[in-house]
Amino acid sequence: MNRSIAPDYTQAENLAIQFPEKIQLAEGIQLFWMKDVKDDSVKLDIEWRAGSKYQAKKLVASFTNKLVLSGDENKPSSAIQEEIDYYGGFLQHELDRDHAGLVLYGLRDNIAKVFGIVTEALATVSFPEKQFEKERRVATMAFNIESKKVKNLCQRRFNLAVFGEESAYGKSADEADFAAVERQDLNDFYQAIYQEGTPIVFLVGNVEAAFIEELKTWAQSFRPKTNNYTAQLSRQEKGRIANIVVEDALQSAIRIGRLMFNKTHPDYFGFQVLNTVLGGYFGSRLMANIREDKGYTYGIGSDLAVMEDAAYFIISTEVGIDVREETLQEVFNEIERLQNELISEEELSKVKNYLLGDFLRQADGPIAMMENFKNIHFNELPRTYYSDFIHAIHTTTAVELQNLAIKYLQREDLTIVTAG
Amino acid sequence: MINYEEFKLENGLKVIFHQDKTTPLAVLNVLYDVGARDEVESRTGFAHLFEHLMFGGSKNIPNFDPPLQMAGGECNAFTSNDITNYYNTLPAQNIETAFWLESDRMMELAFTPKSLEVQRGVVIEEFKQRYLNQPYGDVWLNFRPLIYKNHPYKWATIGKEIEHIEKATMEDVKAFFFKHYSPQNAILVVGGNLELTDVKQMAEKWFGPIPAREKYVRNIPAEPEQTEARELVLERDVPSEAIYMAFRMGSRTTTEHFTGDLCSDIIAGSKSSRLYNRLVVEEKKFSSISAYITGGLEEGLFVVSGHLNKDVTFEEAEAAIWESLEELQVELMDPKELTKVKNKHKTSKVFSEQRLLNRVMNIAFFENMGELDEINNVLENYDRITAEDIQDFSKRIFARNRQSVLKVKTKK
Repeated sequence: MNRSIAPDYTQAENLAIQFPEKIQLAEGIQLFWMKDVKDDSVKLDIEWRAGSKYQAKKLVASFTNKLVLSGDENKPSSAIQEEIDYYGGFLQHELDRDHAGLVLYGLRDNIAKVFGIVTEALATVSFPEKQFEKERRVATMAFNIESKKVKNLCQRRFNLAVFGEESAYGKSADEADFAAVERQDLNDFYQAIYQEGTPIVFLVGNVEAAFIEELKTWAQSFRPKTNNYTAQLSRQEKGRIANIVVEDALQSAIRIGRLMFNKTHPDYFGFQVLNTVLGGYFGSRLMANIREDKGYTYGIGSDLAVMEDAAYFIISTEVGIDVREETLQEVFNEIERLQNELISEEELSKVKNYLLGDFLRQADGPIAMMENFKNIHFNELPRTYYSDFIHAIHTTTAVELQNLAIKYLQREDLTIVTAG
Repeated sequence: MINYEEFKLENGLKVIFHQDKTTPLAVLNVLYDVGARDEVESRTGFAHLFEHLMFGGSKNIPNFDPPLQMAGGECNAFTSNDITNYYNTLPAQNIETAFWLESDRMMELAFTPKSLEVQRGVVIEEFKQRYLNQPYGDVWLNFRPLIYKNHPYKWATIGKEIEHIEKATMEDVKAFFFKHYSPQNAILVVGGNLELTDVKQMAEKWFGPIPAREKYVRNIPAEPEQTEARELVLERDVPSEAIYMAFRMGSRTTTEHFTGDLCSDIIAGSKSSRLYNRLVVEEKKFSSISAYITGGLEEGLFVVSGHLNKDVTFEEAEAAIWESLEELQVELMDPKELTKVKNKHKTSKVFSEQRLLNRVMNIAFFENMGELDEINNVLENYDRITAEDIQDFSKRIFARNRQSVLKVKTKK
């Protein structure tokens, strides 16, 4: 046996994507249900258009989301949490810039109980003073701890530079904002954005039909109003914007990036492949050079992230404070190499095969399948999105990737922020 | 219910197969029974540095990752004080690529000076990123030697100090490999959409020719019973003061592990726990509080930790935690409270077993403990615990002369 010869392998086959069943719960309120689950687990995801971009005052979306189960005069938060725990339920509060909501984890025989406790609490919440003040203390402390990390200082400044201060995506809070939030802000936000909003429900679990009826009854309680949100355009400040000095730091955080296009853009799939080559997996060029050849960092990566009103490309790493400038130079060397030299067939096949395998990993099991569906739903993509993506991976050429690197990764189009 | 089939190769390698026909994937996991506990005090951080070197090429394969990625796969590894674990996930039809790669690095590493030099740098940056350049990052580097005086649990997996990593030589690397990376010291678990006969054939083909090596026999200095309260105060540039309280307890393989786990849930495992409601919400002494057990294979720790609110003294904070620990010793708990924490384990178990990778790693972990037949009895082990058990545990474990306390003071 010759151990230096690799065994045969084949490319991962196309995905058998499953789509959830769509059920109208009430006027304008939809349920997406994946019921083909082989165990007793139930995951129920309720989301609103209640992300931080909808807030008029900083932190209100986050405080509201964290306190939606804070109770009222008759039933305190502790009693609500006690009951959820007693039935074995788990609860997760979710918030990003676009969406916010709750995720419930339970089993077939307890999910209805847990859901009942949660929805009763949602209907009566009054954001009691004690809970509100607790949240202010806890959140301020957590913020102060996070503000000691170079990666967060760097990321906040980067967001401001890439999206601009007009855009909701560019803003971040400072300590004074925690003192400025008031209880009334939460009540107002909750009423306008949650109670008069339009929740959307994603259910993964082999539940009884009766549970679907309960969801319908609950959905009747909403009085959805049209939300006239208009996004502020992002305005990117390019170039080397800032180096935030942190006394005694041992590492420097680096963020390099730019505004990009969304998932329906004709260059989207190709750019995702290019991103993978550059910094999207463990074998990427940035990892190979800056970690595996130079030993400057524990990790470096790049990503193309798409939100509702903007998208961005970002390279991020933390490196030894004495090699910050060398690292920046190497990052630009790698970008220029993508612009000046064709990617070899060998490397391109490796990236394609890796990505095809990764589609399988990202779609393994009903919960993962639902996450893929949410991507299609929220980004308003065609049902053929994943098969289109896979097709694009197969057909992408080295020349196309070189052109994309020239088109989108010019140094003068990038924003650079460092901290440390 | 996790199904499995076991067999053993002639060189002593234990192999376990877990079939799952519902996934297009397969996982190949190799656990080596070596961790930071097997290091000597003058050369710490070595097991973990070695884990990095395992990706730097083997005798017949210059680089581990590219062929795996070519076959659509992905891999990673982790090191703890107890074990080192490597795992590969790939499309099921390409599982042989993982057999080839993992067997070649068990056979023999390439031992290239370049790999050692680079990975020293990478690990030093990891040391800075995770332990030194973060608020509270160095707590456990300092806490472990307070709790342990003799036992190798006194240093963290990353090592005692950066100098140990800087000083690692190629001779150290080679000696470590031949001492610990033998087939008798490893457990191979393969899971996914495969057939037993194929797994057997591939295991024989790729791992069978690896020679058995001298069996490493662990001989770890015992830690004497703690008889006095210990305390260490660190002064750091941090936004809030923090307290960490640790009590030594039974290992992962003892009943005490399950009792301790439930006890930690009751004290501060969720928003309905005793300490959260009392200290974070009502008395406003803490901005966060948590309790957990470490589950070490040599022995465990019961840890309570939290961040103090402004103007709360360490004395008040410590007294508040002790009040709750003593309450468990004096008052028998309401059975309903115990049912609550047991029910949460029932739910989390179902979710944790959904992922093939988790099931496969769990099999390796249980086999390494010598308790593979216990893998499907975990819930029963929790269910068996009574309110009296929790009370007994509390009386035995929570004593002033058994506590180690670390306080992080803010630098004025």
